[in-house]
Amino acid sequence: MRQVLEGSHAISEAARLARVQVVSGYPITPQTHIIEALSQHCADGTLAARFIPVESEHSAMSAVIGAAATGVRAFTATSSHGLALMHEMLHWAAAARLPIVMGEVNRALGPGWNIWMDQSDSLAQRDTGWIQLYCEDAQDALDTTLIGFRLAEAVNLPVMVIIDAFYISHTYEPVDVPEQAAVDRFLPPPNPRFRLDPADPKSLYPMVGPPAFMEMRRSLQDAMEVAEAALAQAAAAFKTEFGRSCPPIEADGCEDAEIVLVTTGSITSTARLVVEDLRARGERVGLCKLKLFRPFPAEGIRRVLGRAPRVAVIDRNVSFGVGGIFAQEIRSALCSLERRPPVFSYIVGLGGRDVPPETIAEIYRSTREAAAPDPESRWVGLNPELMGAAAR
Amino acid sequence: MSAWSRPPLLFPVSHTTTEANRTGAWRFARPVFRPKTAPCAAACPAGIDIARVEMFAARGRLHEAWQTIARENPLPAVCGRVCFHPCEAACNRAQLDAPIAINALERYLGDAALAAGTPLASFDAPDLGRKVAIAGAGPAGLAAACFLARLGVSVEIFEAAAEPGGVLRWGIPAYRLPKAVLAREIERILALGVGLHCNRAVDQAFLAEAAGRFDAVIIGVGFSAPVRLHIPGEDRVADGLDFLRRVQTGQTEAPRGEVAVIGGGNTAIDVARTLLRLGARPVIVYRRRRRDMPAFIHEIAAAEAEGVRIETLLAPVGVAADAGGVRLTLQPMRPDQPGGDGRVRAVPAGQAPTVRHFAAVFSGIGAEVGAFWHRPADEAETLRLSHCALRLGQHPIAYVGDPVTPANSVADAIGSGKQAALALHTLFTEGPRAVARALQDCRVGPGPAVSLEIYQGAERAGRASRTVAFADINTDYFPVAARRHPSALPPGRAAATFDETLEALAPGEALAEAGRCFNCGVCNDCDNCRIFCPDQTVQAVRDGRRIDLDYCKGCGVCTVECPRAVLEMEEESA
Repeated sequence: MRQVLEGSHAISEAARLARVQVVSGYPITPQTHIIEALSQHCADGTLAARFIPVESEHSAMSAVIGAAATGVRAFTATSSHGLALMHEMLHWAAAARLPIVMGEVNRALGPGWNIWMDQSDSLAQRDTGWIQLYCEDAQDALDTTLIGFRLAEAVNLPVMVIIDAFYISHTYEPVDVPEQAAVDRFLPPPNPRFRLDPADPKSLYPMVGPPAFMEMRRSLQDAMEVAEAALAQAAAAFKTEFGRSCPPIEADGCEDAEIVLVTTGSITSTARLVVEDLRARGERVGLCKLKLFRPFPAEGIRRVLGRAPRVAVIDRNVSFGVGGIFAQEIRSALCSLERRPPVFSYIVGLGGRDVPPETIAEIYRSTREAAAPDPESRWVGLNPELMGAAAR
Repeated sequence: MSAWSRPPLLFPVSHTTTEANRTGAWRFARPVFRPKTAPCAAACPAGIDIARVEMFAARGRLHEAWQTIARENPLPAVCGRVCFHPCEAACNRAQLDAPIAINALERYLGDAALAAGTPLASFDAPDLGRKVAIAGAGPAGLAAACFLARLGVSVEIFEAAAEPGGVLRWGIPAYRLPKAVLAREIERILALGVGLHCNRAVDQAFLAEAAGRFDAVIIGVGFSAPVRLHIPGEDRVADGLDFLRRVQTGQTEAPRGEVAVIGGGNTAIDVARTLLRLGARPVIVYRRRRRDMPAFIHEIAAAEAEGVRIETLLAPVGVAADAGGVRLTLQPMRPDQPGGDGRVRAVPAGQAPTVRHFAAVFSGIGAEVGAFWHRPADEAETLRLSHCALRLGQHPIAYVGDPVTPANSVADAIGSGKQAALALHTLFTEGPRAVARALQDCRVGPGPAVSLEIYQGAERAGRASRTVAFADINTDYFPVAARRHPSALPPGRAAATFDETLEALAPGEALAEAGRCFNCGVCNDCDNCRIFCPDQTVQAVRDGRRIDLDYCKGCGVCTVECPRAVLEMEEESA
């Protein structure tokens, strides 16, 4: 049924339809609406789940780890500082091979205090062993969450479903909300490969020394390596059931493009308008939307971007001392090719600064006109007056 | 879509339960479930288990709350009105905000039980085949009768007056204690099988005769003689206690105009407030300072609010007849060094005495022993306990009430009667040598009061005698909350009637007030210990909590999170 939902509620609705059994969470803007809606469902009896209130995000993640270890479907959500506080337990959830799904709303970390859109929080967790899926809009968020449960349970890895602060989390859009029966077909009750059971008491995850630790980590890497294929399978099943695609990389007009723009999150929607406009004026521009960031779909990136004359990556994040993180990962994926397209790296929209079509058009222009990429990421739209003040 | 197969799972799992790892071996200190004595209970002359009373009341278990009171005090509705509540002065909560309104709660529970017609528990003790005569149906005699009956002893009370109650019946005015409340609480004691003979004054001849018919006699006739002023013209001074007694039997007349009431204790206050209600203009005349008045502060305040005047540092030195009344000569006094009793003495201030005209002068300075045999003689064979004395001869006599109690209060009288009852029971069952020890063993903590429940070896007997201090309470669990006060009649209206001046707490208020109680040292099943234990070693058992020492690492979290100092840490012995 088509409903007007804000992006947060697209995720909470997906979790409800997935019949999650345990929810824990701690409020933080701009994530709170997700957990709030689920706690209301638990209180109203519209979701047969146990809501575990906790005093911090670290405890929220600990609670869902404990729950998932008993074999139940568990969910939490967080953002920014909350995600940072979970960091220790993110490693634990992944290496414990627990299929937890978490809604994560991209928000900047302080100082200065900033509650707005910025990908630095989730990207700072890229090495924790979590699958990361970035969403473009509310429908994408709902679909990705449902697929996330199936994927997590297929490969025994936790999944982070990531949306933009406010641009998605607090924006109302029409969303196709599937029927419960259809979701039940797509997502049957969990059938865990292991679980804590009082009838057969055992202790999970005791100490592992040097003779076995590497192998344990290698098995996690193995799981990541099949996750992309497992995602494709889940997405195919999803398309069969619901008729919508959810590819790890979406390529639009990249085959014959002079310049391919690479985007994530809600910037993709803005870029679609710019691309349409440029094409109408005869420009050959392609658009590559990246959904899957961990595991990084290097093969797919090489396929989509490998023959492009120029690639412009738009990063709403920064790794200090290097630059845009997506650009860095894309360069790394392309470097094994004999003929490598030049990758232009742009940093935009940190801390919620708006990225209007003009900014993307300027990125296109700048990529077309430059002789070669700058050695470092180019920051777009800095206020010279403020920068001057900083210099003084 | 490329084919993929389920990824491997590689992580460590134990082969069996970790129960084999007895982590309790790491412990160097252990938590111990040790209920303790609440300071209120130790301060209560009747030895009521107040912390448990409030624990039940806060949970709406009013019947159990009342039974907990009534086990130690058979007159809850009476004491809930007239007790001087030393419990509240000892209340730990005073150090956080304000003490629990224990007295008002006792009345609330007492009234609820009267309304429900709840009988006193008899405890079904086997008949010992012993008989005890009690002289005096005041609070001490009634309490002794109640506790003896509950211990399987036959009791008969002999009362000189036409009705039972003693000071409760004749001394305390109806606006503080409605007589219907008293009558119903006495009926409940009699319903335990206690025989009562009114209009039967006990004298020495009776004692001699009773020695043959009874296994023991209890003398609890109280103070029956007014304290004399020893001033010229004393025969013109009316006896305040006699006046109160006559008002109880229907006298409604009082002198018109200004009336002097001599004294500073509760008797003077009662006489003055009664005179006021009968149309007189009473003036209390007291020889020391206002702060030295032995009357309860709230009684003094109520008297003044109603219109009683209080003049201090004035000692009566003479009374003479005067037209339409009396002439009272008053010597101005000044405070001096404390006397032997620690109280500030008053000595003449040096000014000349003044002569004042009053319509009448009443003495309200209390009473004293009426006959030498009302108190124990100084004999070697007399066993003196805190609240009673026992002559353990061939014909045992127990002395209870005012002549032998450290303070002359209703609660002390009840404690006195109970002490005598338990002492006689021990005497009958175990012999004279066991008495002192048995009474020592059933004391409530370090206080003088004894407990029937402890004497019977029930749950309370397992409490440590140490009292809980404020520092032992985890006040994080107790937000500051205002004390609830019962509402009172407006003083103007109160002064015109013998209706009760204080109302009962409203039901919701009573439960909320009981909920303020720390329940010092008494487990209320809050379960914090179990919830916070990181090793799940705390188990609820019938009479408290058990710690699984095989796995308790001795972290002590349970003892910190116990809000009421029931759990405590103890070092492991090597």
